[in-house]
Amino acid sequence: MDCEPNRARLMCMLWLTFGFFVVEVVVSRLTSSLAMLSDSFHMLSDVIALVVALIAVRFAAKTQSTSKNTFGWIRAEVMGALVNAVFLTALCFTIVLEAIERFSEPREIQNAVVVIGVGAAGLLVNLLGLCMFHGSGGGGGGSAHGHSHSHSHVSGSNSSGQWLRKKKRAEANKLSGNGSSVRDQEEINILVSGSAINGVNPDKQDVFGTCRSDLLRDNSMEGLQLNGISVLDDHHDEFGDFDDSASQLNMRGVFLHVLGDALGSVIVVVNALIFYFVWNPCPESGPCINMCLHDHCIDREHLNGTQSNISQNSENIPEAGPCWVLFLDPTLCCIMVCILLYTTYPLLKESALILLQTVPKQIDMQLINEKLRNLEGVLAVHELHVWQLAGSRIIATAHIKCRDPTAYMDVAKRIKDFFHNEGIHATTIQPEFASVNSESRISLCELPCKTQCALKQCCGNGEKSSSDLKLETPSTHSLEVIRESPEHPNIRTERSEAGSNAVKNKDTQYESAV
Amino acid sequence: MLPLSIKDDEYKPPRLNLLRKVSGWFRSILSDSTSRNLFFFLLLNLSFAFVELLYGIWSNSLGLISDSFHMFFDCTALLAGLAASVISRWRSNDTFSYGYVRAEVLAGFVNGLFLIFTAFFIFSEGIERALEPPDVHHDRLLSISVLGFLVNLVGIFVFKHGGHGHSHDGGHGHSHSLFNGGIPGLNHGHSHGEHGHSHGHRPLHSHDHGHGHSHSQEHCHDDHQCDTLQAKGSNKQILEGVFLHIVADTLGSIGVIISALLMQNYGLMIADPICSMLISFLIGISVVPLLKQSIGILMQRTPPSLDHVLPQCYQRVQHLQGVYSLIDPHFWTLCSEVYIGTVKLLVAPDADARWILSQTHSIFTQAGIRQLYVQIDFAAL
Repeated sequence: MDCEPNRARLMCMLWLTFGFFVVEVVVSRLTSSLAMLSDSFHMLSDVIALVVALIAVRFAAKTQSTSKNTFGWIRAEVMGALVNAVFLTALCFTIVLEAIERFSEPREIQNAVVVIGVGAAGLLVNLLGLCMFHGSGGGGGGSAHGHSHSHSHVSGSNSSGQWLRKKKRAEANKLSGNGSSVRDQEEINILVSGSAINGVNPDKQDVFGTCRSDLLRDNSMEGLQLNGISVLDDHHDEFGDFDDSASQLNMRGVFLHVLGDALGSVIVVVNALIFYFVWNPCPESGPCINMCLHDHCIDREHLNGTQSNISQNSENIPEAGPCWVLFLDPTLCCIMVCILLYTTYPLLKESALILLQTVPKQIDMQLINEKLRNLEGVLAVHELHVWQLAGSRIIATAHIKCRDPTAYMDVAKRIKDFFHNEGIHATTIQPEFASVNSESRISLCELPCKTQCALKQCCGNGEKSSSDLKLETPSTHSLEVIRESPEHPNIRTERSEAGSNAVKNKDTQYESAV
Repeated sequence: MLPLSIKDDEYKPPRLNLLRKVSGWFRSILSDSTSRNLFFFLLLNLSFAFVELLYGIWSNSLGLISDSFHMFFDCTALLAGLAASVISRWRSNDTFSYGYVRAEVLAGFVNGLFLIFTAFFIFSEGIERALEPPDVHHDRLLSISVLGFLVNLVGIFVFKHGGHGHSHDGGHGHSHSLFNGGIPGLNHGHSHGEHGHSHGHRPLHSHDHGHGHSHSQEHCHDDHQCDTLQAKGSNKQILEGVFLHIVADTLGSIGVIISALLMQNYGLMIADPICSMLISFLIGISVVPLLKQSIGILMQRTPPSLDHVLPQCYQRVQHLQGVYSLIDPHFWTLCSEVYIGTVKLLVAPDADARWILSQTHSIFTQAGIRQLYVQIDFAAL
């Protein structure tokens, strides 16, 4: 991810905009133009949006988990994007209100030349900002409709394309049957980012700094091997590579803000130009009829004052210019608001969905569930939750029911691999050993093996027993794990219930949990 | 055999029939006392806004019109909170594996943001007015202030709850001095606080997670008790929030009345912008705790209430026989009072996994975490 360049860009734009804001305030005081003052406040809101994005980038750099924030501050960028989107929406609303106000009471522009000048300068600043931010997040901004999520993934993976292709294409090909190329690219991106992190030291500053470059380390650091799975695999997932797309979300928010400002400047300039060339203002001296301004006081005065004049020489009285010019401003504003809302809505939706712990779009829960259940050794899957931390960091948790710990040891690695293939690298699998209810509380009194029950006094007595369970003859996956346990007749009845409803259990419990 | 789940569809609004959808929402709103109160308060505010709008059109006062639009803007926020309370009761489905409970946290956060934006806006308007004091008509101002104050009192009465005011939400006496810099007419710099719109944003912020809790199905499967407990807890939080909010709003109204009196009797025109700025500060400050809390929840922060308990739990788990170490704990808040955690245990190859699992679960359940995922990794010898 583009952290350093991003930060540099943000700082640059921030100072530029802030400087311009100061200029506008000064000019507004000099020309006593209230309109310019309110425009300067729009600039200030831009500054605030940039500050928010900058803070988000700063925070998200701290991917190291702390005691309070065990996931690190990665989500900060999603939050930054949301804040900016909400801010933009509120701003749009304000503009609408102002426009309505202008509709009912049109105002002339004073000092049109100054307004043109300052407006043009503002436009320049904003165009500069647009160019700066178009590269990273803006690509998503333009195509911000529909599945913006996958788009941002793709653009992210495209920009860091070379090192992606070196990685396991084969594995990517055997992914879930969905053959869309977009998804493949995403998977590759995620796959690589996942497996490439193992060489990384937990001191995440480095990780973050490496952003797009040299994350090409292979799984060199196997470290502690547990069940054939590197525990550091997951461990580093926590500190691991931060994805392009979350930061892109943030940059998109900034981009949209700058876009809104640019549109505003365009409107200001266009309006001032038209006003300058088309409008015939009332000359300062002499009588003048201004039919456009519904100003009660002025109308009355003028009418009273000019009534005598009108009767005498009607041709000499100048009329203030075409009235439609005054309504141009609010109309353009309304159009601008529509454009802004249209482009902001996808960003808002996307960041909100991430924060609502939604299953990421590219994951098909039913499919995952089915595939998990089809794995050998897996009897049931409960409480499967998949959610997105930020960008491509996806986290999954599930209860997997196995026959016994030995079987679990076998299947655990396969489950992890399966999830890795799906692009989910941080998984927590809780084994359940063929118990009846799928709740977290496992009733220990259901042991599938006859030989063990004599040794273990399990029902929550706290006694520890050896776990040298023998492998059972593998039963079918239809959960008919009824074993005769003479010591626990109650188990048998519960088990038979479990047996008959087992299949149904699986499904219904899955549904209730998921 | 008890049905373990109910199909999603009966609670998800049917797509085809809009009327049925809407009536479903109404039923949902009216079923719970808190959302019912909020709904009626929203209606009250809306009607007040409409009255103001009509009055403004009739008397051709731009200030009143724009102020009523501002009120609508606030009612939108209140509506968002109400919507969140309805949405968070929907069942979970494939896309939302945890259900929609987070909607309220999000709504609280968004409302907090709106409040900050409003405060910023009022502040800027106050500055504009301070630099160019407009002509202010006070006669209608005072009456509207008093009316708004009364509406606030109604709100206090309705949502009265002696809470410990944990999360404070944005006070709203915002004198929204609206856009009429320089336009003679009613000074709405204050007319906002008067309308005492309680932006119910507050209430629905982080602290509650749906009352009638269909989601608690996932969290406390067999535990019917926890449903009612959680529902009570959440209602309490909401009401507390609304109450605080309305109190702040009332204070704002009082401030507005005072400034109106000052202007009327002493001609202190500067009172208007100063009042605006003070009130915007008040709003800003009172929103900060709400924002901090929502941000904490949304950033997957360890629940603050568990900060002291968790290390003890870790210790206890590590003392279990067979457990070598506890790695990678993650605990986060789904919505208020609902905590989810994942831990990984490194255990001896001959350890009793089942026993360890059950012990771990009971240890953490005592701490209040009901949804826990414990991954057992056997160390290779």
